[in-house]
Amino acid sequence: MDVFELVKKAICKVEPGLDESKIVPAALLKEDLDLDSLDRVELALALEDELGLYLQDEEMGDIFTVGDIVALIESKLKVEKTS
Amino acid sequence: MVITGYGAVTPLGTNVEDTWQNLITGNCGVGYISLFDATNFPVRIAAEVKDFDPLKYLDPSTAKYTDRFTHFAVAASLQAMDNAKLKVDDNNRYDIGIVIGSGIGGLATLSRQMEVLYTRGPSRVSPYLIPMMIADNAPSRLSIISGIKGVNFSLATACSTGADAIGLAYQLIRCGAYKVMIAGGTDATITPIGIAGFAQAGALSKNPDPAKASRPFDAKRDGFVIGEGAGIIVLESLQYALARRAPILAEIVGYGATSDAFHITQPAEDAEAAARAIRLSLAGLDCDHVDYINAHGTSTPLNDVTETRAIKKVFGKKAYEIPVSSTKSMVGHMLGAAGAVEAIICCKVIAEGIIPPTINLEYPDAECDLDYVPRKAREKNVRLALSNSFGFGGHNSVLAISRFEP
Repeated sequence: MDVFELVKKAICKVEPGLDESKIVPAALLKEDLDLDSLDRVELALALEDELGLYLQDEEMGDIFTVGDIVALIESKLKVEKTS
Repeated sequence: MVITGYGAVTPLGTNVEDTWQNLITGNCGVGYISLFDATNFPVRIAAEVKDFDPLKYLDPSTAKYTDRFTHFAVAASLQAMDNAKLKVDDNNRYDIGIVIGSGIGGLATLSRQMEVLYTRGPSRVSPYLIPMMIADNAPSRLSIISGIKGVNFSLATACSTGADAIGLAYQLIRCGAYKVMIAGGTDATITPIGIAGFAQAGALSKNPDPAKASRPFDAKRDGFVIGEGAGIIVLESLQYALARRAPILAEIVGYGATSDAFHITQPAEDAEAAARAIRLSLAGLDCDHVDYINAHGTSTPLNDVTETRAIKKVFGKKAYEIPVSSTKSMVGHMLGAAGAVEAIICCKVIAEGIIPPTINLEYPDAECDLDYVPRKAREKNVRLALSNSFGFGGHNSVLAISRFEP
């Protein structure tokens, strides 16, 4: 599974009209992609729909870039696999 | 106090001009409900807005996170501001205010999120639920989009909302608080819960024929047909309008509002408070000069009789000489938008010299015996028009609109 592509898809769903080329691992959610606090919650909900993973508020609190989300999801998927 | 621009999204068009052409032709905007599957509902008809694209007025992200009632309001507001050639800049942004009422607010959004809550739990509810649902979302979105920094607020007086929003804007300019107000109403409640609620209150027509169901003042009327949309005007002080060489479309010369203090859904039978609202709107004016009344005319058995009574109380024998028409026969009842759209229609009547008809008026009712301009539009030179709006809760609100004669 390409987690980055999934995250990109979810961001596009949350922020329609966004220039997709801006969605790169180093992109800052707020400054580069204009995702405010409400959009971050929407993004968490969209990712949960996509992955069936539950993203806690406190986990999302440490997220600043697209790459951070990808890393968080990859680590959660790993935990899920080993357990 | 002058009207310099207007915009509308109605079941008969996504702008004022298309709506007007359909109104004077006597076209009906009522059809079978398409916004949801109404198969098992006691009422399966409504006056829906058709062919409306919110992306014409809003960016994709804003459109996604705003309810249909806000889409309508922003569209009508931007049309009105364009029509008024009103540019918002650093010289005037604090001199302009917004009052856009909504009878109900984002009912569709609330319904969808209630379903999420019950089926998937509280942690799945959208963070946009509250901002999308609350009635002030329409004026606040407009403020953000337009850069207007004067007051922005909503107001809810049920089916009088649109008229009261304009009335309040009129008062705010009159007392000197603002030079310009963007004012009107919006509603989008053709949803399962909206239809069920109004139907259970006994307010909606059960007539299965969409083209015939809204029949104000007709003996066979049995309730209103729910509509949706928005109507917005740009209202400004004459001084400001002249200084910026704005187009002047009409003038608001009076506003009257009273309460029945009687019943939560029924109008007071004596029509005393409604009559007083009409008199207040004409304060300082000559009653004999009223050339046209755009009736509230919902097509409910009670409204049409009491409204007729109110008009007779004010005008006496002269009431029989005043053309009174209900455009709800064609656009249905747009709830919070109704009073504002009807005020715009009065502006068009004054400008064009044509009175839109009350369609479907076929069987006379002994208690509704005024000249309701049945079935066909009529040419008449109109200088002073009244727009009546009454609402659940006993609201009576009347606007007096006149030709601008410098």
